[in-house]
Amino acid sequence: MMYDIDLVVIGGGPAGLMAANTATEAGAEVLLLERDGHLGGQLVKQTHKFFGSEKQHASVRGIDISTMLGDRLDSFGERATVWKNATAIGFYEDGVITVDHDGIYKKVKPKRVVVATGASEKFLSFPNNDLPGIYGAGAVQTMMNVYGIRPGHRVLMIGAGNIGLIVSYQLMQAGVSVAAIVEGLPQIGGYAVHAGKVRRAGVPILTSHTILRADGKESVERATIARIDRTWNAIPGTEKTIECDVICISVGLTPLAELLWQAGCEMRYIPSLGGSVPLRNNCLETTVKGVYVAGDVTGIEEASAAMVEGHLAGLEAAASLGFKGDRYSEERKDCMEQLAALRSGPTAEKIRTGLACAECL
Amino acid sequence: MLINTGVPTREQIERRLPSPERRARGPYAMVECFQEIPCNPCSTSCPFDAILPMGDINEIPMIDHDRCTGCGVCASVCPGLAIFIIDESVGDGTASVTIPYEFRPLPEKGETVRAVNREGCVIGDAIVTRVLLSKKTKTPLVTIRVSDGLVHEVRFFNLIDDKAVSDATSLKRKEEPITVDSACASDDDEIILCRCEGITLRTIRDLIREGYTTVDEIKRISRAGMGACQARTCGPLIAAEIARMTGQPISEIQPSAHRAPVKPMPIEFFLGGDSE
Amino acid sequence: MSVPKSASIVIIGGGVSGCAIAWNLANRGIKDIVLLEKDTLANGSTGRCGAGIRMQWAAEKNCRLAQYSVNFFENGNEILGYERDIEFEQSGYLIVAANEKEAEQFKKNVKLQNSLGIPSVYLTPEEAREIVPLIDTSQFVAATFCQKDGHLNPFHTTDAYAKAAERLGVKIFKHTEVIGIEVKNRRIESVETTRGRIATNIVVNAAGGWSKAIGAMTGVDIPTYVQRHQIMVTEPLEPILNPMVMGFSYNIYIQQVPHGSIIMGRSDNTEPLDFRTTSGWKFVEEMTKTCSKLLPALKTANVLRQWAGHYCMTEDAQPIYGPTPGVEGMYLACGFSGHGFMLAPATAQLVSEMILGEPLTIDVSNLDVGRFERRELVFEHSVV
Repeated sequence: MMYDIDLVVIGGGPAGLMAANTATEAGAEVLLLERDGHLGGQLVKQTHKFFGSEKQHASVRGIDISTMLGDRLDSFGERATVWKNATAIGFYEDGVITVDHDGIYKKVKPKRVVVATGASEKFLSFPNNDLPGIYGAGAVQTMMNVYGIRPGHRVLMIGAGNIGLIVSYQLMQAGVSVAAIVEGLPQIGGYAVHAGKVRRAGVPILTSHTILRADGKESVERATIARIDRTWNAIPGTEKTIECDVICISVGLTPLAELLWQAGCEMRYIPSLGGSVPLRNNCLETTVKGVYVAGDVTGIEEASAAMVEGHLAGLEAAASLGFKGDRYSEERKDCMEQLAALRSGPTAEKIRTGLACAECL
Repeated sequence: MLINTGVPTREQIERRLPSPERRARGPYAMVECFQEIPCNPCSTSCPFDAILPMGDINEIPMIDHDRCTGCGVCASVCPGLAIFIIDESVGDGTASVTIPYEFRPLPEKGETVRAVNREGCVIGDAIVTRVLLSKKTKTPLVTIRVSDGLVHEVRFFNLIDDKAVSDATSLKRKEEPITVDSACASDDDEIILCRCEGITLRTIRDLIREGYTTVDEIKRISRAGMGACQARTCGPLIAAEIARMTGQPISEIQPSAHRAPVKPMPIEFFLGGDSE
Repeated sequence: MSVPKSASIVIIGGGVSGCAIAWNLANRGIKDIVLLEKDTLANGSTGRCGAGIRMQWAAEKNCRLAQYSVNFFENGNEILGYERDIEFEQSGYLIVAANEKEAEQFKKNVKLQNSLGIPSVYLTPEEAREIVPLIDTSQFVAATFCQKDGHLNPFHTTDAYAKAAERLGVKIFKHTEVIGIEVKNRRIESVETTRGRIATNIVVNAAGGWSKAIGAMTGVDIPTYVQRHQIMVTEPLEPILNPMVMGFSYNIYIQQVPHGSIIMGRSDNTEPLDFRTTSGWKFVEEMTKTCSKLLPALKTANVLRQWAGHYCMTEDAQPIYGPTPGVEGMYLACGFSGHGFMLAPATAQLVSEMILGEPLTIDVSNLDVGRFERRELVFEHSVV
């Protein structure tokens, strides 16, 4: 059968949960599709405290934010439906979304859609990068923090962005040693305070370094790293071997935008946002009318910004259906102010320049 | 520099220290946050309004040491674990540092631990004098006593019998450089770029040299990106290789089309369907 | 990179037909041929098609065209000097008849085909099952089979033609769009492209779905239209389906390519008549239904991807070959209605012969563009 509904939110992470909550509160009937068996997306493995301000739940751990947002959605009762283990597998030209819900084929035809599918991890090519023991940082975080499995004994982390730094720290919390963090850029990409946490716990951060190769018989036994010059070429004579049984790749995320491509949204490749992102207006509506976006799928940012975008997209999608409460203008203004604040610092410069290219409608 | 090493400079630290009189008077918060990032819980959580309100959420926290009582609320709240409580007022040649410590097991009061500096090196011993659990933030605050000469250096500690953490810190910093001949550069080509179809970097490079300079052309000739993941992993790598070899900006290299279904689904799946 | 100032012949369209024509002409010693492609080679219908080739047709002309092409492809790698592989697998076509009426027509078809030297056979469902053990014999009443039919890799085939043509001096310009054609005194003078103007008196319109737009640039209406067709493909499987299985009433063609994937497609008259290459969910539902009826064992195979291309259709679903009345120098090779890929070797041969004024290897004079005005349509019923 074909399900008719006001709004479908695809993705139950920070952006999707906020969008669903906001739109339901505004009066829309909402269906939230979550690929996993639980809500929260990346939040559930974020055992660290969040940055930002109180409005984005700063100082609360990601996993607890996930519970709070999920409980709020629950409190709306029948007006908000959640399908867990539900993957949107197709987004068609006539607005129909096909879903794998626990192995059952379902079709949904919503009046509005918020795509909040998040991001996937970028990979790196080096010899033997297919050896067992080489993981994305996100996979390692899931293994540890969701399933309670240690990925190995001694990890080499590639990438000193926030994810590389945070996952290194969490590996140590799980009792896994981190041999080093290798970063190709001359400076650490993540927040200095995250770097400080891993440094004092004894982990060297080697900037202007890259991994040359991995080696091992049946799985990773060691990695060779080297210093690189400005053109990313290894400097001969600076090679070092690092004994490790896990190599963790954390070289950035890229928006998971397949559904937007399928739906026919106009996309633009914006390197500072992590890849191809949908063009959108200041209501977060894409070039396909009725299709809104929020969170990392709009460009890679912190979860705090994802939550505010989710709020804004949910608010606008509901408003466009006539669910426009008294507080609409106030909420919209507040979202815009929060986003402007989160993006105003020097660490967000890349994001600001990227967004200027994506928000052009 | 902080941005290269993750460790603040001595100068950065010294500029944050309160006056000698204030330091002698009692515990105070040492906010080791030197970068403008969007974060303000320290200022909104301080019960004594000692951390000044931020006009812009990206401001670096400023502390009014006359108001600060060294209570530690901010240290437990700080998402960056960048606030420490220093007490130099003991006067017996020791001083204490309170450290936000998110590792298990927690030390016990009275236990001797190894005092560790900002770079992860053990620089002496310390005695645990207090372990405070925070119900709200779940970040325990552990106070250790060190000789007063070390109090501005010590920012972490290792348990003496904790294998995991000591493992991490006992890394030999200087490892013997090994000689790697140019073999590793040449077998670069054997890297498998498209794992679904087993296509190597060599194949991709050969095709680019042959004049196939779009992701789609390479996909059609080699099958790279035609597999189950639909180029999710190799697509960006191939685009980057085209950009590198042809000098085109990567933003102008069209990715290949994304098609339904997003993940492989059995034929019989589409035959079912619910009739709720 | 700008285009040359002049050319003996300008071929518009970098699909398999355009590339094959370019090679064929160059192979006869024609110099200064330019091929223009607005995107990349095989980006239109060629790269999106099922790439099967069969000689089992109901009309003699189609049998002969396909026969010519099969003979060519049998030695394709050698003739074209292709170092990769065009992957011509002569694993046969098994065509099923859903009812007695269709079976009767099939008997006639086999008779005709055999008379032309095409080794097709008429089979009972049980005999058909010996060739395709997965097939559900209760779903059809009879079948025909021809071992010499098969399929190719459409990308490699186009690549093979293009490479061979280039070696013979043809200049291929990708990402070069034709934006105008200059006609003086009803004769072609030049072709205007996004990379410059080429003076020429001969243009081959092999632009597939865009052939109508190219014709319009000379003020001529080419009676072709586009219709979307969809295909889907499964994950690679161990070899289980040797021949292409096809059914006209069932509206299906399904084959396993050498790589292991199973490719299947169908037609749908409600498909949009425009250039969109988006996919539809109804197609997946219908396709999976038909496929699991005929080949139930495939139910557990995973669908990897669906895509769409378009047929460049004519009113009688037959190609348009030959000169354009009213515009001297414009030759048509379009309107293939879904069969352009398999006919490419024959197309190349015939169009070259027409341009050079040589006798035709196969008489296709009734497939000219004028037949639509004359209302002398040529119908072929054995199509999906």
